[in-house]
Amino acid sequence: MQSIILFLILISTYLMVIAKRTPALIRAFRYQSFCLFWATLVIAIAEKQMELFVVAGLLFILKVVFIPQLLYRTIKRLNAAEDLGLFVNPQLSLLWALGFTYLSWLFASGLTGSADAKTMILAVAFFAVLAGIFLMIFRMTALAQIIGLLVMENGIFLLASMVSGGMPFFVEIAIFFDVFVSVLIMGFFVYRINKFFTHIDVNKLSRLRG
Amino acid sequence: MEIFIILGIPLLLAGISLVFKGRKISGILNCAGYLVVLFFSVCLLRQTLFSASAISFFGFICVDSLSAFFILVTALVVFAAALYSVGYIQKDIGRGAISERKAGIYYLLFNLFSCSMFFVPALNNLGMLWVGIEMTTLISAFLVGFYNKKESVEAAWKYIIICSVGIIFALLGTILFSYAFSISGLSKSLNWSDMVPVAHILDKNILKIAFIFILVGYGTKAGLAPMHTWLPDAHSQAVAPISALLSGVLLKTAIYAILRFGIITIRGVGFAYFSHLMILLGIISLVVSGGLILVQKDLKRLLAYSSIEHIGVIAIGFGLGSPLAVAGALLHVLNHALTKSFMFFGAGNIVSHYRKHNMHAIRGVVGTLPFTGAMLILGVFALTGFPPFSIFVSEMMIIIAAFTGGAYWVAGTLLLLLAVIFAAFINHFAGMLFGNIPKEPAKAGEPLSGKLAFLFLGTLITSTGAALVFIKGDWLWMVQKLFPR
Repeated sequence: MQSIILFLILISTYLMVIAKRTPALIRAFRYQSFCLFWATLVIAIAEKQMELFVVAGLLFILKVVFIPQLLYRTIKRLNAAEDLGLFVNPQLSLLWALGFTYLSWLFASGLTGSADAKTMILAVAFFAVLAGIFLMIFRMTALAQIIGLLVMENGIFLLASMVSGGMPFFVEIAIFFDVFVSVLIMGFFVYRINKFFTHIDVNKLSRLRG
Repeated sequence: MEIFIILGIPLLLAGISLVFKGRKISGILNCAGYLVVLFFSVCLLRQTLFSASAISFFGFICVDSLSAFFILVTALVVFAAALYSVGYIQKDIGRGAISERKAGIYYLLFNLFSCSMFFVPALNNLGMLWVGIEMTTLISAFLVGFYNKKESVEAAWKYIIICSVGIIFALLGTILFSYAFSISGLSKSLNWSDMVPVAHILDKNILKIAFIFILVGYGTKAGLAPMHTWLPDAHSQAVAPISALLSGVLLKTAIYAILRFGIITIRGVGFAYFSHLMILLGIISLVVSGGLILVQKDLKRLLAYSSIEHIGVIAIGFGLGSPLAVAGALLHVLNHALTKSFMFFGAGNIVSHYRKHNMHAIRGVVGTLPFTGAMLILGVFALTGFPPFSIFVSEMMIIIAAFTGGAYWVAGTLLLLLAVIFAAFINHFAGMLFGNIPKEPAKAGEPLSGKLAFLFLGTLITSTGAALVFIKGDWLWMVQKLFPR
């Protein structure tokens, strides 16, 4: 069960790396978040902990329903081009992603010194973080940067929930609240950028130099 | 008890600013409120220094000497910024740059921002510490993009994105710390006070990797080069009192977080590892900022790069690690906060009077703004480490510690770069402060509250410097209390 979920998370991350248009990126993000929700739910049922059910529920509401919906709405309202603006084309991005997967495997097995289930979780989590950074650097629009950040956050959530048995409950809630607020604020600034620059291409934000 | 008053007053003031909307009374109430906060934070520091155990509530809030010290630094700068805000915002409303409603929003955000910065040092749980620091970013992003211009929106976007990514790494580091804690067979906890006593039995390799993530993450927020790229943009575009807060206190809260994790790392893997990393990042920061200070044209960016330089000096001080060096670094945290706010207030007055940032276009400040001009002459010498000001003393302590500790290369590089930066500053400011008095803009008066803020900080800068030189008796025991490694 666990390895199936991990595999699905890996696949959805690959989908994000090769996505060419913003809606596809958001959809893949939704798949990834759903897999995370599923994983948390499995642990919650196994351990019968009320707190984990709450965390899973929050994860579902926030990252599967609310944030993707908000991002879809932003695209519609902005009338912005749906192209992500790739610095690196999908084929090359795929190669990068393969490289990242290998790197994160090396890193994870180096850290735990073995090749068991825990190492696999670590590797997938680090891969998600690396893929998030990749999206933030090699995609031009402001929305892609927000999603990149969320992907990194997902990777870290995976790491936290499986490796250390989750963080203390109130920290988990506080981090959810934090993600929620930061997406709202970033969305607000995306509107601002669109208003002042009439585009959301962050590559062209270069008035401040030196 | 004091800690609840310190945390409560900013929240109360935020509520009040909703009622009064941006009228002047709101600003004056802020000053009064933060004076009370300042008083209680002095009490708090005194209490924690002379008691054996930390003040703790439900394991959630834990205030020891280190926290109390950072709370005091925050309180000093926030009080000065509140004083300065009254006149500055009034003037902005007067010249039509912002509406009175927007001034109300300013006071609300100002209070929330300072509240979040008081919270960070008081938290015991390392996960909540992360949330607190992220909160400071989110609230201050609005204050960076306050003036709805292309430049400020761009600066705010870069600020929020770069700091959020940076801080994600810090979360990763925090989780690795808790991983190290959980595989050593202890019950799950992220409380600092639970982690420190058992630090020596934690897995060394995981601690090492985790600390790298922490250093990259919080180092981004602290403005350590090469993760500093957001800093000059944000500091130059924010409202002047907020630039002072960003530079004076926000960077220090990130340094505080690094120190908290640093203490665990030092106990777990030994001092050399921490020392090498801090000194390396410190030197890189000094080199990068020194070069950019030399060629800088924009007044507020110049001061922002100078913040990177001083953060570098602080990192080197902690990296050297002898009691004298740590004392110097802690003092430098305080001195830099005071002096840099002082300079940002001066720069704010100049920019709002001349309406431009470019130093080559600003001439004859002493003629047009006599008070600010005179204060800036003092400030430049204070900031570049000239006796009798306080930065001289703390930099001297770090350099002496480097020489006596045998770190000749570090001391030599530090001295060289400080000399270069001194020359660059004198060159830039001599042209701006003196020179021909321009016809436009005419000579103008300055608001009383701004003058009070200058005098408050100026007195502190000069008197602590002088007092430290003449102080007799051994006070290095405090260092052990503040930085228990």
